[in-house]
Amino acid sequence: MKHSLSFKNSSRILLVLGALVLLAIIKLPMWRIDLQAPQYPEGLTLFIYPNHLGGDVDIVNGLNHYIGMKPLHTEDFFEFKILPFITIGFSVLLLLTAFVGKRWMLISVFILFIIFGIIAMIDFWRWEYNYGHTLNPDAPIIVPGMAYQPPLIGFKQLLNFGAYSIPALGGFLFVGVGILLFAVNVIELRYKKRVKAIINKQAVAAACALLLIGFSSCNSSPEQIVLGKDNCSYCKMPFGDARFGAELITSKGKVYKFDDAHCLFSFINENNSTKSNSKIYFIDFSGGHTFVPAENAVYLKSETFHTPMNGNIAAFQSQESLQVAMQKFPGTVLQWNELNTK
Amino acid sequence: MKKFSNRVMIVAAAFMLSSLYSCKPKNTADAVSGDAAEKVYVAPGKYDEFYDFVSGGFNGQMSVYGLPSGRLLKIVPVFSVFPENGYGYSEETKPMLNTSHGSVPWDDLHHLELSQTNGEIDGRWIFANANNTPRVARIDLSTFKTAEIMELPNSAGNHSSPFITENTEYVVAGTRFAVPMDNQNGDVPINTYRKNFKASISFISVDKTTGNMKVAFQLRVPPVDFDLSHSGKGKSHDWFFFSCYNTEQANTLLEVNASQRDKDFILAVNWKKLEEYANAGKGHKEAVSYAHNVYNEESHTSTSTIEKEVTVLDAKDLKDICYFIPCPKSPHGCDVDPTGEYIVGSGKLAALIPVFSFDKIQKAIADKDFIGNYDGIPVIKYESALYGEVQKPGLGPLHTEFDGRGNAITTMFVSSEIVRWNIKDLKIIDRQPTFYSPGHLSIPGGDTRKPNGKYVIVYNKITKDRYLPTGPELAQAAQLFDITGDKMKLLLDFPTVGEPHYGQAVAASVIKDKSVKFFDINKNKNPYVAKGEADAKVVRNGKRVDVYITQIRSHFVPDNIEGIKMGDEVYWHVTNLEQDWDVPHGFAIKGAANAAELLVMPGETQTLAWNPEKPGIYPFYCTDFCSALHQEMQGYVRVSAANSNVPLTFSTGKNMPDSTNTPPLLTQ
Repeated sequence: MKHSLSFKNSSRILLVLGALVLLAIIKLPMWRIDLQAPQYPEGLTLFIYPNHLGGDVDIVNGLNHYIGMKPLHTEDFFEFKILPFITIGFSVLLLLTAFVGKRWMLISVFILFIIFGIIAMIDFWRWEYNYGHTLNPDAPIIVPGMAYQPPLIGFKQLLNFGAYSIPALGGFLFVGVGILLFAVNVIELRYKKRVKAIINKQAVAAACALLLIGFSSCNSSPEQIVLGKDNCSYCKMPFGDARFGAELITSKGKVYKFDDAHCLFSFINENNSTKSNSKIYFIDFSGGHTFVPAENAVYLKSETFHTPMNGNIAAFQSQESLQVAMQKFPGTVLQWNELNTK
Repeated sequence: MKKFSNRVMIVAAAFMLSSLYSCKPKNTADAVSGDAAEKVYVAPGKYDEFYDFVSGGFNGQMSVYGLPSGRLLKIVPVFSVFPENGYGYSEETKPMLNTSHGSVPWDDLHHLELSQTNGEIDGRWIFANANNTPRVARIDLSTFKTAEIMELPNSAGNHSSPFITENTEYVVAGTRFAVPMDNQNGDVPINTYRKNFKASISFISVDKTTGNMKVAFQLRVPPVDFDLSHSGKGKSHDWFFFSCYNTEQANTLLEVNASQRDKDFILAVNWKKLEEYANAGKGHKEAVSYAHNVYNEESHTSTSTIEKEVTVLDAKDLKDICYFIPCPKSPHGCDVDPTGEYIVGSGKLAALIPVFSFDKIQKAIADKDFIGNYDGIPVIKYESALYGEVQKPGLGPLHTEFDGRGNAITTMFVSSEIVRWNIKDLKIIDRQPTFYSPGHLSIPGGDTRKPNGKYVIVYNKITKDRYLPTGPELAQAAQLFDITGDKMKLLLDFPTVGEPHYGQAVAASVIKDKSVKFFDINKNKNPYVAKGEADAKVVRNGKRVDVYITQIRSHFVPDNIEGIKMGDEVYWHVTNLEQDWDVPHGFAIKGAANAAELLVMPGETQTLAWNPEKPGIYPFYCTDFCSALHQEMQGYVRVSAANSNVPLTFSTGKNMPDSTNTPPLLTQ
């Protein structure tokens, strides 16, 4: 090994540490979904380990059969068979990199790691989508228009359950190993001082960006509308029906909620200052409690809706879901810019 | 710089991840208003404002609570034996639990209904239903004893019961399980449900003065499951409304198969017309067998008669009696508002609460606005009967009652809350969490013409952590709310006995002054009464021995009895001679297999059957702490061999030891 190109000792130690942590992760839960409901003061938790499901799986399966969701069984997921091997594989790669000390190995492992993380999250989202949307049509409880896709990360209200999806210890450690890899990459990729300075500035800039995202992660996205508790910011009525709801979020992060498009537009007209730089979201009529940015949605105006303030407009994420709804609620299709004039 | 930026990155990443925690919802703590304690405290020596009669569910009894304190005042035995006071064990009360299947010592008491006059609670009786062996009981509210039990023929499962008409003309009993009728061959394959199984709604008439019940007639209806019902009031006085589910007519896996149709029904029955038809002889008689048991307060004895026939009218044949109103989805509660105009269906799997209008229903019937027939009964068009829907009130609506101010309050089982909404504009006014998963709620008079909108009591199905843990089997939890203001305020959380399915509360003043303090011994018509100690005796008739024994503080007469022989059937007829308030006496004797104690009230006579299994000496004693010398209130019985010559003797205070068997008590 050439002296000037070999890794620092501290880098090697970090890599070995990362490899050991990865081995430990095999026995730790990677992800958790916490469920809260009024009649479960003790709470319910689903743990996803690298090689099995843990926590209150049986209780969750028992509850979910009412709404027609498929029961969860470890055997049904191919991911549980390959995850431990992938984790061991990365561990071995890290050890190799620490031992051999080649920069190209370091960069490759890091990129592979990131790619794996992204693929894992996509796969997780895809599974969650199927889990929440593939419902048994014979289920005893069918709430029209409702799907039960758990949140990818964060909070979502599903009927009487609040679902809260976050990494568990293993997941955090996995991310930690990723950060560790990144750090070692930065340390070992020695360039001239000027480039170093640029890289460092970029690192600081990246850190600041992360901080900003962290600060606003709960504020720039729309808040859930809580029926019976929240009041419409314009007409002050309590929310009895969230399907026609809309939200306006100012550039400062203040959230206004409306139970009817009529209220949203009246509010905007009376408060001209809020119109620019604000983000407007509508509740997707066909998809439970999800929000659609106003510019991306398509709209159906129909007198048969009987919305709380007679705005009679419902928003849809896609033309297809609008067409489905139009069969039940005949009316006119509108675009966002056509709505603005009302 | 490198190290700094590294650290900054690590900190930033950690911060981003930890900021996710700020999204985590917190558990809402109970919000109890500051003055709750004052509002529920009933000072020592003072009385509660309300009697709250609560069904015991699977304990087969009725409990009586005081409100607002939530204190348990009494458990009244109705359908289950009660060893505590000998109900179902004494010869006088055994006939109460007789049925056409024999003696059934338990049942499932689901619902209660206080008797009404002109739509207001009158405090005379309270009716209870038995779900397992279909029966209706009437409990006398001056003595708090079960006075009468009527079995129902052609029935299985008696859930839609015991709801009454405004003037207590009739008590109804609708079946939960459709089955072949009593005079059919019932030995058929189960999956011939749709062809062979039928449902019945029994109309029990109640005598205005005595309260005596009679199955006046039965309505034969399609084989669906009847759930709950209420009668109309005021303008809808002539009508009765029944919620029903399983209109899919499934006989297996009802969890799935009875939840398929988007709408089940509310059955509207014009009982006044039905009564006219029955009186005009339009029904046919069917041979059946059902028990009718009556407790006579003067003789303190009950008798059981088996009735042999019932009058049946078929809904299919009578064209203007029954109408189905579509109701989403597997409805449970079927509640009529105090004005009698609005009928609220609570579809337990529905995401809305439909409110029907009586006027619109009448118009739809007159206009023949039907969408077809279900098993011969016209089905009214949903929109033509509907006044409006309360949208997205919560999850799992079950029961609704009314506060008398134009609002309704509904329980939401799945989202574990109660929701108050205005009937006229169908808007939600308030919602409060309950702990946990409420089934029924009751407002005093909440299902009558004159609700007393002071409190709502919510009866929950899940207890978990509300009270100190008591192993896996927990009491149920009830909450008391003040509903006088705009927001409902939680005042009290108290555990309940058995499993309440229904409650009926009434102002204490309606009942408390009628309460009997003791029975007049001079009016005691029990054939085995001993009206004074002079009448106490022991009489042998072959193998049967009748002991007429009296109790008064603090001795029995007789208390020494000899001459009983093995193989005798002994009957202890115990009369409590006291004529004062709260001086009961108990009676228990050793070796009483399959029996319990007797608790005898002043002026009452009760009988215990006793068959000793071997010769010897058997003590008996008073089991209720009656006096300072209660511990001395006892006696002995001598049982001899079957062929012995011991004469029958009985006495108190005379059977002294003689000189030959009196060793000195103390020796030096």
